[in-house]
Amino acid sequence: MRNRLINFGLLMIVLLTSACGRGNTTEPVTFMVFGEPAELKAYQDLVDAFQKLSTDIAIELIHIPSQGDYRKRLTADLVGGAPADVVLINYRNFSGLALKNAFEPLGPYLEKSSEIKYEDFYALPMRAFSINDQVVCIPQNISSLVTYYNRDLFDVAGIPYPNDSWTWDDFISAAQALTLDTNQDGSIDQFGAGVEPDFIRVAPFIWQNGGKLSSERTLTLTDPLELEAVQWFVDWQVKYHIVPGAVEEKAESSESRFMNGRTAIYFNSRRLVPTLREITAFDWDVAPLPVGGSEFTILHSDAYCLTAASQHKEAAWTFIEFVNSVAGQTIIAQTGRTVPSLIQVAESDVFLDPKAKPEHSRVFIDVIPYILRLPQQANWSDIEEICNEELQRAFYGNATVTEAMQSAVSRALPLFTENE
Amino acid sequence: MLTPYLLGAALLVGVPALLSLVLAFIRYDGISAPLWVGWFNFRIVLANPVDLLFPISLYNTLYFIILAVPIRVLSALALALWLNRRGRGVGLYRAAVYLPTIIPDAAYALIWMWIFNPLYGPLNLILTALGLPAPGWLADAEFAKLVFVVMAAFQIGEGFVVLLAGLQNIPPEYYAAAAVDGGSTWQQFRYITLPLLAPWLLLLTLRDIILSSQNIFTANFIMTNGDPYYSTLFLPLLIYEEAFDRMHFGPGSAMTVLLGIVTAALIGFALSSVGNWGETDAD
Amino acid sequence: MPIKQSTTRRTARAVGFHVVSILMSALFVLPLIWMFAASLRQPGLPPPRTIEWLPSPLMWSNYVRVFQILPLGRYVLNSLFVAGAAVPVTLITASLAGFAMAQLSRRGQDRLMFLSVILLIIPTTAVWLARFILFRGLGLFNTHAALIAPSIMGSSPLFVLLFFWSFRRIPLELYEAARMDGASPLSIWWRVALPLSASTIVVVSILTFLLYWGDFVTPLFYLKSQTLYTLPVGLRQLQELDRTNWPLLLSGSVVMTLPAVLLFAIVQRFFLQENRLTGIYGQ
Repeated sequence: MRNRLINFGLLMIVLLTSACGRGNTTEPVTFMVFGEPAELKAYQDLVDAFQKLSTDIAIELIHIPSQGDYRKRLTADLVGGAPADVVLINYRNFSGLALKNAFEPLGPYLEKSSEIKYEDFYALPMRAFSINDQVVCIPQNISSLVTYYNRDLFDVAGIPYPNDSWTWDDFISAAQALTLDTNQDGSIDQFGAGVEPDFIRVAPFIWQNGGKLSSERTLTLTDPLELEAVQWFVDWQVKYHIVPGAVEEKAESSESRFMNGRTAIYFNSRRLVPTLREITAFDWDVAPLPVGGSEFTILHSDAYCLTAASQHKEAAWTFIEFVNSVAGQTIIAQTGRTVPSLIQVAESDVFLDPKAKPEHSRVFIDVIPYILRLPQQANWSDIEEICNEELQRAFYGNATVTEAMQSAVSRALPLFTENE
Repeated sequence: MLTPYLLGAALLVGVPALLSLVLAFIRYDGISAPLWVGWFNFRIVLANPVDLLFPISLYNTLYFIILAVPIRVLSALALALWLNRRGRGVGLYRAAVYLPTIIPDAAYALIWMWIFNPLYGPLNLILTALGLPAPGWLADAEFAKLVFVVMAAFQIGEGFVVLLAGLQNIPPEYYAAAAVDGGSTWQQFRYITLPLLAPWLLLLTLRDIILSSQNIFTANFIMTNGDPYYSTLFLPLLIYEEAFDRMHFGPGSAMTVLLGIVTAALIGFALSSVGNWGETDAD
Repeated sequence: MPIKQSTTRRTARAVGFHVVSILMSALFVLPLIWMFAASLRQPGLPPPRTIEWLPSPLMWSNYVRVFQILPLGRYVLNSLFVAGAAVPVTLITASLAGFAMAQLSRRGQDRLMFLSVILLIIPTTAVWLARFILFRGLGLFNTHAALIAPSIMGSSPLFVLLFFWSFRRIPLELYEAARMDGASPLSIWWRVALPLSASTIVVVSILTFLLYWGDFVTPLFYLKSQTLYTLPVGLRQLQELDRTNWPLLLSGSVVMTLPAVLLFAIVQRFFLQENRLTGIYGQ
């Protein structure tokens, strides 16, 4: 009696464990990406093209919409011992994982490849994904922070479009003129600008003002030039009110407002383009960031990494090689998602065609000499999180910039000396 | 017959609970090998001079428990007393009270995010229309925690049913006898209802204290993720982030252990302050 | 209290009771109404400045869109599968355990009751991390089995107790009679105890279903493949796609909440209507 029951129970357990779908069967190479639906479509096109060429390798696409959740997902997967074979990863999250040997260095594969060579790529993103001069992952893009703007709203207000020599002051006065209470009800219906009050958004302005963000031992955000830049950024909300405040942002995000034509300027990187291309209600274009003491902007780059735990390294490399060849990068560049890391593709009409929006994609190439990247540090993402929280506190008027930056510096201090 | 239950409980609850205790003394990030570090995890969680996330989240969690639990228990009691009668429609009223409780957590969080939307949600629209101040709710550090309290206050279905059952267990003869002796409604409540209901109330309060501190995770994760500026960083979220975001299983487990200790302390406090009430039983 | 009250006074009290009860019920039902109303707005419009009880135009297309943006249909099926698989397993293990408990001596029953209460009290946060590592070791990562696993122990000690109370109320003579006929315990469980506990079976089935239907944490921890996602994490994915697209998010919420409400409509009869209360919760 008892035995029968135990057997029954065990049978149930076995059935349940084996019958339910496992993500990693022996066949397909799993490829994990993040991004909005329009971006996802870009990757799907890529996978489809690859499948046509290599019919014996199956690719399973896994999609996580947000980067925040993506990082947790990747962490859980690595801990779970069953990560995807190929993962797309941002260079800011890269170092911590690479230093834990989560990835199989692709440098040796690259050297043996007949399709692609190190020299074919822009050097900056390659360096961002190298550890001790060895290439670990292959970057797909050399994107940066730029200014998106709604042409129609500028036309209506009679303000000239942003251009290469647009200064900080030009930006502020334009945004002020574009912040309107259209129905006279006391609350702002159209904002001049929108931005996520994140550390990576303020970093370019800190560099432009002569700051350096961090030294080997600490963040340098409390240096006068850096404080000045942060203050100017925070003033967008606190002083000039050209961007939504905490309440407005919570009610409707800046990105949503821009998409729906209720904000004139929005700061983001190239990855927004596929989603922007779906807009039919108004005309939009791109311009470099407003210029301060210099023209710096910040690197945004994602790379294809091969996880060390992968069971299909050769097949996965074939896929990675394809997506980073001229053919692969062309496909994804056509969707608008990337500023290709292959020099040949970036400078071709595939990317630069003025008939494909944004008309001035040229901007992304022109700023390349001015792109700076964040430090490569094991716990950089933790440091960034702290900075984000402190920056937001100041941005929404709940603390002075000095207080917030001092707090950020002291809170991040242990992370610089932590030996992980 | 008991085997699946006991075995399952051991495997799914017992073993992990013990493992958690052990993990608290280990440094483990899921990838590299584990390493015994003694009290180190507890020290960095409690005594980190610069990053006070644990004390902040402990404060937030206690704030929530101290507000939410009494509100829930008292509301459940009030509603149980009110709806403890026959009549047409009473069943429907009871169902209405229970309704918010069955809404799945993820959907529940999104609904309240909308209701508490500071510019466009129905609540602030009503407040503005009435000329009352309309706070920023989840966008305002002063009010954000209250959102969670309100959400918890609506989900009193289970407590309501338990107390209702408790009330119906009281033999009506007691009340009849009291009425004959000339007792008023209040006296009946004070000397018959309350003492007989006391064990149920106590159980409910204890259970609420324990569950409140952890059921908040889903709503927390979906609605604020700790913002603004950690004012809604509750302990389950911090534990999750520590373990799954930063891959610090050791400190995460240490925090879990500490949470357990704090909960036990709260229970002890609750028990001791109503000590002698728990001894009488209707049976 | 005077024995005879004037009819008008009695009617007034009844009316008063109903008015208050209706208002109170409306309050509890309001979040659901608002959720449904807001889900029908056109996304992308400047949000409303006054409360919209019913938007115009009524965008039923939101419900279509929400299934197009994400494979929500797939997620619904997955949720149905997980919850549907958990119910029979739970019924079997919980009723077996409850039955075994009902056969024990008084002391044995007390001990098991004590154990069950302890189990109910252990917060799930305490076992999160350790269970994750344990499941990983068992190879349950990224499987539905990890989600269904708790059903092996009856999903919740509460369900075991519900069956225990239900079986305890069955007159001993029935058990005796079956035993004298030479029936085995299993057969008594199947032929005598279960058929007489129909209402408990219904209640436990539906409560179990709701438990797994709304489970957010387990899929969050364990599921990686999008094809395996269940509704709760699907809703989270929806939120991450368009953080403030309230009509869309609430459409997804309605999809998730509707089955729960329907099931609740069925089961609430059993434990909210008047005299059945003592039936479920026992003495």
